[in-house]
Amino acid sequence: MHEMSLVQGLLTQLKDLAIEHNKSKVISVSMEIGPLSGVVIDSFQFGFDILAKDEPLTKDAKLIIESPPAIYRCFGCGMEIEAVVRPESCPDCSETLFTPEGGDGLILRQVEME
Amino acid sequence: MCDVCGCDLKPEHTHDSKVIEVHESLLAANTAMAVKNRAHIEKMGAIAINMISSPGSGKTTLLEKTIEALGDTIRIGVIEGDIETDRDAQRIRAKGVPVIQLTTGGACHLDAAQIHKGLHLLEKEEGGAKLDILFIENVGNLVCPATFDLGEHHRLVLVSVPEGPDKPAKYPKAFHSSQVFIISKTDLLPYFDFPVEEAKAEALQLNPNLLVMDLSATSGEGFDQWLDYLRELHRKRL
Repeated sequence: MHEMSLVQGLLTQLKDLAIEHNKSKVISVSMEIGPLSGVVIDSFQFGFDILAKDEPLTKDAKLIIESPPAIYRCFGCGMEIEAVVRPESCPDCSETLFTPEGGDGLILRQVEME
Repeated sequence: MCDVCGCDLKPEHTHDSKVIEVHESLLAANTAMAVKNRAHIEKMGAIAINMISSPGSGKTTLLEKTIEALGDTIRIGVIEGDIETDRDAQRIRAKGVPVIQLTTGGACHLDAAQIHKGLHLLEKEEGGAKLDILFIENVGNLVCPATFDLGEHHRLVLVSVPEGPDKPAKYPKAFHSSQVFIISKTDLLPYFDFPVEEAKAEALQLNPNLLVMDLSATSGEGFDQWLDYLRELHRKRL
């Protein structure tokens, strides 16, 4: 359940941003959490729901999470396949080995504050 | 819907608000510290290996046997991570190499800030300032440690025979992010249903670049391959 400590890090970053931009309320937080990030989106959302409401700054904040697909490069022919789940085999050469690229992002994209 | 701009945000949305573009990883602070750790470890002369596995898969025993085999020729240091107790550090200290214990007090993984602290403590131990190989034994957990770069050069994931062969498929992140996969406790293969070749193939499907080994630290079977890998790492560093 490392999602809880990641949410704590996010809330600290939001506090810093509020001070830097002289804002007192977070309206929305946009995150990218990739399918290979090792972070369970439901657990992250759950952690945010619990921890954000303890702070006046974030108590009404809405968390928006997007999970873009990863790219799987075929070990045989090098073909790149965009997918959320690892493909069974390459449609071109039937190779079953893939090297995943990307999809491991855990990125704070945007914060809307007032 | 908002009357001003037509967006579908809730009514609390006002046009006094400001959208701040951040586009920074939540792990940025950890990663920045990991980069510093890597430089620090290299200054100590060492290559660091981050060991990740479930509790009880034989990380500490593997280290004990490795020190017995290589301790005279390669300077080994160890940072032990556990939730509580310094039992693992005591076992390693008994083998005569510099070791420190980090206790996370409940946290399920080590992070780069803890390793930063650990490196400074290790340097104060006798023989701890100059090393060839630094082993970081992470908290026993196949999930959370995989997300945190500690500043290691290689990451090693271990699965023991009693745990079963389905771990790569169930815990993909640890296998995506590692360079080495060890199947440990192979002396127990007669008593468990663990198809070694299937487990290896499954791990390679997740990460075709993995170096895969199977060994028993207690019987010594397959251990030479592991020692050769460490000697090769050490030789490349020289």
